[in-house]
Amino acid sequence: MRLRTREMYFLVPGLLLGILGLAAAASARTDTLQVGPWQTSLGVAMVFVVMHAVLRLRAPYSDPYLVPIMAALTGIGLAELYRIDPALAGEQALWMTLGGIVFCAIIVFLPDHRVLERYRYVIGLTAVGLLVATMVFGTTVNGSRLWISVGGSQRVQLGELAKVLVVIFLAGYLREKREVLAIPTERRFGMNLPAFRHMAPILLFWGLALVVVVALNDFGTALLFFGVFLAMLYLATGRALYVGLGMGMFVAGSLFIWATVPRIAVRVGSWLNPFGDAQGNGYQMVQSLYALADGGLVGPGFGRALLVTPGGTPRIPELQTDFIFSAVADDLGFVGSVGVMLLFVLFMARGFAIATAARDGFSKLLAGGLTAVVGLQAFIIIGGIVRLVPLTGVTLPFMSYGGSSVVVNFGIVAILLIISQRSRQGLIDAVHGAPAT
Amino acid sequence: MNRSIKSLYLALAAGFGVLILMLGYWQVIAAGGLDERADNPYQFERQRLVDRGRIISADKVVLAESIAYRQKGNRYYRRYYPQGALAAQVVGYATPQQGSTGLEQQYNQYLAGSYGAGAILDKLRAEQKVGADIRLTLDTRVQKTAESLIARSRGAVVVIDPRTGQVLALASSPAFDLNQVASDFATIRKESGAPLVNRATQGRYPPGSTFKVVTATAALNSGKWNPSSTFNDTGKYVVDGQTIRNDGNTKFGVHNFTDALTFSINTAFAQVGKRLGPSRLGGEMTKFGFGRPVEIDLPSDEVAVSGRYRNGKLLSNTQRDEDAARIAIGQENLLVTPLQMAMVAGAVANGGRMQRPYLVKRVITKDGVVVKQQNPETLDSVSSAYVSSEVARMMQNVVREGTGTKAGLSGLSVAGKTGTAETGDPNRNQAWFIGFAPADNPKVAVAVVIEDTSGTGGQVAAPIAGAVMRTALSATPVQGEPQP
Repeated sequence: MRLRTREMYFLVPGLLLGILGLAAAASARTDTLQVGPWQTSLGVAMVFVVMHAVLRLRAPYSDPYLVPIMAALTGIGLAELYRIDPALAGEQALWMTLGGIVFCAIIVFLPDHRVLERYRYVIGLTAVGLLVATMVFGTTVNGSRLWISVGGSQRVQLGELAKVLVVIFLAGYLREKREVLAIPTERRFGMNLPAFRHMAPILLFWGLALVVVVALNDFGTALLFFGVFLAMLYLATGRALYVGLGMGMFVAGSLFIWATVPRIAVRVGSWLNPFGDAQGNGYQMVQSLYALADGGLVGPGFGRALLVTPGGTPRIPELQTDFIFSAVADDLGFVGSVGVMLLFVLFMARGFAIATAARDGFSKLLAGGLTAVVGLQAFIIIGGIVRLVPLTGVTLPFMSYGGSSVVVNFGIVAILLIISQRSRQGLIDAVHGAPAT
Repeated sequence: MNRSIKSLYLALAAGFGVLILMLGYWQVIAAGGLDERADNPYQFERQRLVDRGRIISADKVVLAESIAYRQKGNRYYRRYYPQGALAAQVVGYATPQQGSTGLEQQYNQYLAGSYGAGAILDKLRAEQKVGADIRLTLDTRVQKTAESLIARSRGAVVVIDPRTGQVLALASSPAFDLNQVASDFATIRKESGAPLVNRATQGRYPPGSTFKVVTATAALNSGKWNPSSTFNDTGKYVVDGQTIRNDGNTKFGVHNFTDALTFSINTAFAQVGKRLGPSRLGGEMTKFGFGRPVEIDLPSDEVAVSGRYRNGKLLSNTQRDEDAARIAIGQENLLVTPLQMAMVAGAVANGGRMQRPYLVKRVITKDGVVVKQQNPETLDSVSSAYVSSEVARMMQNVVREGTGTKAGLSGLSVAGKTGTAETGDPNRNQAWFIGFAPADNPKVAVAVVIEDTSGTGGQVAAPIAGAVMRTALSATPVQGEPQP
């Protein structure tokens, strides 16, 4: 079966999940059978159909599973947003349309991702610039400084874009340095380590991550950046020791901050014992745990849980962004939320398969890094919700409400598909002879 | 690099595995505990979504129902008590803020529709839960009579059918309006006389001379006495250096055991108690159900244990160092509930067999399917049928010519026993009457207690008991469907 035909066969059920989810959420609101917001359903379906068509024309050999997985995740997310507030779903559909345009633009105008390697330092500097700009000009929302206001009430989360740029930079940088990093030349503290000048970037990154925690007041973003860095360092060198050292340093640094910065100490306190301050700092966490408990094994279904008060206020603050997973867990229960997590695992399986199939170091690192960034981000926010790690303000990829997040994640999938297309195209060219270009 | 890609994938997938396990912990294992936390708003929300079952009396009067209303397009239910304060402590309330009490608590799983496999199926089908109705043994005609007669005082009335144990009325005064619980609970709590307390099951009172029914049964059971056994009353009886006198220091001279009960002669019963001794008398008390909780279908924290208390702690019935002569006349730290004393009267009325008291006849769905049914159950045999008929005859004499004449009903034979527990303040007697009717074929047994009165049991409690028994005996079954 041709790859794009296979993609179509998977895309149909993927889209149906969202369309039926929206209809179910709309039906739950009125207690009667409804088709739901058909303009939104139709619009989003059209976006995916166009994306599929563009892939047929410009990247016919790319991985056929990523787009259907994305469709399923965004569909569930959209249905949850609709049940929280129908207006949110409408806006999110617009963001998805914008994401679809970005997706198609990347597929059409970036036929070879390897040009990115050439501009790695420019890209890296841009990423740092975006983060610094956020620190300096950022608007503080809910205690975290992650947004830049761009006129009116519109805000852009530059960190979302910065994370992709960082991955591109790291893929280029590590491809260049991987040999010298992988071979230890010096022995210190009873460990075989590479020369200090090669270690310096790691230390720099570690310091930067900690600065982000304090300056942006956002543990999640720091954990994400540092985690992606370690993951890519491991991909490049194959040395688990670095990961261990890096994580040890991060934990040690975090402990230091916890002991010295009272504001952070309060956050950690409400993580370890949210019920100790259930009406104050622990409120969000406690309400989320109640939502998980309410969902139980199977949950009542889309839009049927009691997530929103009769007055229309969500019971959990930031339900549509940071806590969209709690909404899924309440509506769809343990079974449904495990399904969402397995979709993320499936996404990672395809992403890493693309990395494995890629035929040059840069492509492998880029694909692996982009996959890791999506997987880690989902892990960090869900981990916060189940109290495995401190609660953070990162979005759940493809599902949380927010333009920056949606557009960037659509872009990530586009780059992954370009890499996939290039490696398979190359394979076909090698067998059948390169086409005249 | 492919090996490290694979390792990274496995590490991240394993991380998601940990997330799944932890999520399972919160959603499945810890969920029950989280649900029950007092500040969990879902409890409150979920209650508002349930079409709770009705509570319907034996005479088909609706005592509690759920009324649907719409708010922002959602359908919710609120609890409504059409009879207001009628049987308030028995019906109880179910609110998220004040918790729940009475039958609303005891039968919550049925009323809220979370019983059996259907509840799980409903959850799977995401269907609205519909509660089942509960049908009571309680008859509002009897309940209303009882409540109106004690409305001006503090006290309680218990009416049971001695043949089955079915509770016909369980009145406690003062009462409160159940509809006010949701709107203004603070006022109810501030009211004097503790209206929230169900005095019929929770009130612990000294039984006074009503306990002589237990002593009389014990005496006849022992075979050492019969109704004609003679005593010589000198006006006082000294036991262990303490003097026991009769009410009003009356001297009765030579009399028999029936006279002793009829005129409530303390010296005679003290002698009987002394000869029976604490272990024998205590053993008889155990058969009557003293010393352990009554198994009625009300929340266990709303039912007090009757028995001997020292410093607020329950003693064993057969504790050796207690004064059996004083126990025999209802003193010596005895504290009993009106429900327990109604069961004592009921056991004598029912040929010595004590029936388990119950309030709910059956649980029935809106479609008419019986989910649960309660049938009469014999708890214990307090005496032979012969002994109980002898005691019944003695009790009949109490109402015919003794202290309980005011409980008498024209055309009917009534058996009973009065009691007046004194507190040292002549205006603060606890007035009692226990009894049953018709004496030759008992259909109703009753216990009445009035707190803090200047009157005696015979003056204050006996007429209430008579009137309530008359209502109970004349109440005919009501056919058809409940009236809203």
